[in-house]
Amino acid sequence: MNRPGPLPTVLTYLWLAVAAVVLLFPVLLTVLGGFLPSNALLHQPPQLLDGHWTLENYRAAWRQPVVPLAPAFVNSLFVGVSIMLAHLVTSCLAAYALVFLRSPLRRPIFWLFLATIMVPYESIVVPNALFVRSLGINDNRLSLVLPFLASGFGVFMLRQAFRQFPRELREAAVIDGCGHLRFLLTILLPATRPALIGIAVWSFLQGWNMYFWPLIISSSNNSLNTLQTAVFALKDNEGGSPAVLLAGITITLLPTLLLVVFGQRWLVRGFTAGAVK
Amino acid sequence: MTAPTLTATGAPAGHVDRPPEGARRTARPARAREALLGLLFTLPGLAGLGVFVVFPLFQAVYLSTRGNDILGNPTRSVGLRHFHELLTPAFGTVLWQTLVFTVLVVVPGVLLPLSLAAPMTQRLPGMRIFRTAFALPFAYSVSAASVVWLIMLNPGVSPVNWVLGLLGLPAPNWTTEPGWAMATVVGVTVWMVSGFNLLVLAAGLAGVDEEVLEAARIDGATGPRQFVSIVLPLISPSLFFAVVTTTLTALQALGQVQIMTDGGPNGHTRTLVYSIFDNAFHNNNSNFGLASAQGLVLLVVGVLIAVVQFGVLERRVHYR
Amino acid sequence: MRTTLRRVAVGLSLAALTATAAACGSATANDDAAAGGTEAPAASALDGKGEVSIDFWHAMSGKNGAALQQLTDQFNAKNKGRVKVNLQFKNTYDDTLSAYKAALNSGQAPDVVQVYDIGTRFMIDSKSTVPIQSFVDVDKTDTSDIQPNIAGYYSVDGKLYSMPFNTSMPLLYLNKTAFTKAGLDPANPPKTLDEITEAARKLTVKDAGGRVTQYGFGAALYGWFLEQWTAAGNQEYCDQGNGRDGRGTTVKLATDDHVKLLAWWKKMVDEGLAPKLDSNTTTADNAFTAGTVAMTLESTGSLGGFLTSTQGKFEIGTGNYPKINATDAGGPIIGGASLWVVGKGKDDARKRAAWEFVKFLADKDSQATWHTSTGYFPISKGALETEVDKQWVAQRPQFQTAITQLQNTPLSKATQGCLLGAMPQARKAAEQAMQAAVLSGTDPRAALQQQEQAMTGPIKEYNQSVAG
Repeated sequence: MNRPGPLPTVLTYLWLAVAAVVLLFPVLLTVLGGFLPSNALLHQPPQLLDGHWTLENYRAAWRQPVVPLAPAFVNSLFVGVSIMLAHLVTSCLAAYALVFLRSPLRRPIFWLFLATIMVPYESIVVPNALFVRSLGINDNRLSLVLPFLASGFGVFMLRQAFRQFPRELREAAVIDGCGHLRFLLTILLPATRPALIGIAVWSFLQGWNMYFWPLIISSSNNSLNTLQTAVFALKDNEGGSPAVLLAGITITLLPTLLLVVFGQRWLVRGFTAGAVK
Repeated sequence: MTAPTLTATGAPAGHVDRPPEGARRTARPARAREALLGLLFTLPGLAGLGVFVVFPLFQAVYLSTRGNDILGNPTRSVGLRHFHELLTPAFGTVLWQTLVFTVLVVVPGVLLPLSLAAPMTQRLPGMRIFRTAFALPFAYSVSAASVVWLIMLNPGVSPVNWVLGLLGLPAPNWTTEPGWAMATVVGVTVWMVSGFNLLVLAAGLAGVDEEVLEAARIDGATGPRQFVSIVLPLISPSLFFAVVTTTLTALQALGQVQIMTDGGPNGHTRTLVYSIFDNAFHNNNSNFGLASAQGLVLLVVGVLIAVVQFGVLERRVHYR
Repeated sequence: MRTTLRRVAVGLSLAALTATAAACGSATANDDAAAGGTEAPAASALDGKGEVSIDFWHAMSGKNGAALQQLTDQFNAKNKGRVKVNLQFKNTYDDTLSAYKAALNSGQAPDVVQVYDIGTRFMIDSKSTVPIQSFVDVDKTDTSDIQPNIAGYYSVDGKLYSMPFNTSMPLLYLNKTAFTKAGLDPANPPKTLDEITEAARKLTVKDAGGRVTQYGFGAALYGWFLEQWTAAGNQEYCDQGNGRDGRGTTVKLATDDHVKLLAWWKKMVDEGLAPKLDSNTTTADNAFTAGTVAMTLESTGSLGGFLTSTQGKFEIGTGNYPKINATDAGGPIIGGASLWVVGKGKDDARKRAAWEFVKFLADKDSQATWHTSTGYFPISKGALETEVDKQWVAQRPQFQTAITQLQNTPLSKATQGCLLGAMPQARKAAEQAMQAAVLSGTDPRAALQQQEQAMTGPIKEYNQSVAG
């Protein structure tokens, strides 16, 4: 097997290193900035490594009483998990029908799902806000997730994954007397588990990172702040120091950072077997 | 790479043979049952999307023809006035800037991670660390990324400006110079999407045969060309996926604009979605009619892009 | 099939529209059916009602929010068994007002709501509140303790609509250390545009490479500042006597003074005496506390934050808000936010409870606490006379400038400030013009005219929407 020569190797490392320095500086600033006294951070250049570490900013960010992060954390978790579960159920069923169940409506329904992907919720946020408000559940966490329980994108992703499943094998299973639901649950889902993990992670992140819907619709109830709206509230905190802000942001990023660092294998496998291939 | 092991089904070859005689007689009712079941399975998804995506579109059409009281409730009909308001150079600028933003995000947003993922296919030590590192921006939400970058570029304290100063370069007015403001918002978005796209493309490349990759980079002269002609088609599903999702991200981008420039300076980073937000919810506005009309424009733009991407681009994608 | 689909779709949308309309309609009907009108109930309204629990929506975050919590706890402890106030933080002023609008539709409005100054016209037009004046009249409350300039903003036709709460005014902030180093006297800060330029020339420092390391002046292109320059020149910002004689129809953006101001600002930037900053005040604040700009414009509310973040780095001085022309005889508008008692859909006990709370917050001791823990200007004259307040000011001589500035500001329609339903948009439009002129180099008059023109639409829209 040809191993790359020394020059390309050096160039490879050089390019990757330069890119890493540029792309990772914001990450470094986020994580380290929170541990620095405000003054060190405002210094030019920020004294990122001068050894004056402090946990004060984290304490301040976590304890500040006005935008409490703990309930926001719970809300974000609720949003992420419930959207994830709902997407899994609705998308699995729909994708299965679109791939394996012949029906004259299959094509139009697929296009309908696809079309909904192209509808940014900003374009329908007004009617949705009016509608959800008319349900009188302003104070309920449910109002944070209600419009997002089904996903055209989830259907699209799983359809791509299910299409990889050899048709002959499915036909064989059906002929063996395997019902649709049983085939779906016992054969197809286990076989496409990486894709399912992929969409689960994607759905969770979609809910977790959602920003404007929580801000707009739940502005009638402060207890419905999510971590993302909390970040924004922290930013406009009068006299709020960048260091406290960065500490707060690091707290909100913790779950996703951990996911990227330690759960990357799942992410990769999910995308590999999912929509991508 | 095919889907993981399918031995579980253990289907003997004989079973794939043509169905026996009797099957043909039951074909018609079976078809109907299958169609019905198909509908049933799609129902939960359709219901959710119907109530919260499709139906609101009809409402948006209705709202777009209405004036409103000071609380934002629809009142008298104003006909097509809100659509007339869209036939202005100002709104043309908004559309143009939306297009510019989208293109400027999608192209580097896919190419940059590709240029990182491609060399990482070599079996060299440390590549996994690099991959993890490059994926980190993926962990950032829009609000987190925007706020962090604002601190990065804050004229008073910017470490970026400091580095530029060391290199003897003048620091641009990142968010206050018309051209630069757009570039900044674009840059932050590219940074954000690069993490996700890197994972997608790296995964795609991981599925390509090692020997093909080796062949593609045997020497510097033919390497890049072979990469384009041999490897790219092999990872076309990943590329397509990255392009589609990045386009959506760019088209729907709001947080970066709202938090970083608030559409400024003087409207130079105003995009369609920002405009909708601005008319409906910003500055005590509740011009829901105009916002709904713009929402419909956005829908049209979105569907056009979907048709192009899935009707034209997807044909060139080689699924295996 | 296509026609069937269309028929179904139309049917569905019609059905849903009527459903929404019905939901909204019934909410409004309920509100009117309840006892809640907009008259002020007497003190007896609380008798025999047990503990009345009321909601207060506010936009105070950080230490301001903490101070508000402290005051509220104090009030709740004092009124145990009678009134209990629940604080609800609603993020920014914009969000608070949006939430209030939404709540009026759904009948879930709070009992007290904090609204920024530029939302005043909207609040009056919403006809959902009990004017503070009604309570004052019923109770025969002595209001002479309220600073007249502050009450002025929230008064129309001599009637006080809301209770001012957190108020601030703009000041010129200086880096004293830089002033001394440049051979300038920080005790004698610039008073006009020309004087700022002069001082800025001396304050601007470049390094060996020609890069500016310290700009003489730098402030956010914040719309509020433009309104302040206007008032300082004793000019009205919108027509109809600043919207106080009748409903305003135009914002006077393209005035000679504004043109002069923006041309000056542009020149400052071109000469390298000021950096290009956007409309976000936090950015400008950071530039000042980092020592990048030696003079800035900010509200009194920022003094505390400035002092903390520059501790050990440099000293801070203050000066009166500068004037465009040396002859300008006005003074700044006392902006901020005020408290509104909600009447729509509320029974007498709740309205009364709300008033008791508002009265408590406006009281001199509460205001002294509020002032000293937040830096906002106290609305009560008496607050400045309390021991705790005097001590606080003695430790921060910079604040004395604000007190003197207020005392020297004549109360006129110009310094009362412009009341306009579309004022939030108008502020934004002003910022667009400022950005166009200073950042993009558009001719100041053209930029201002363009935005003035652009504002006629939203103003007309608003005035029409008041009619329904």
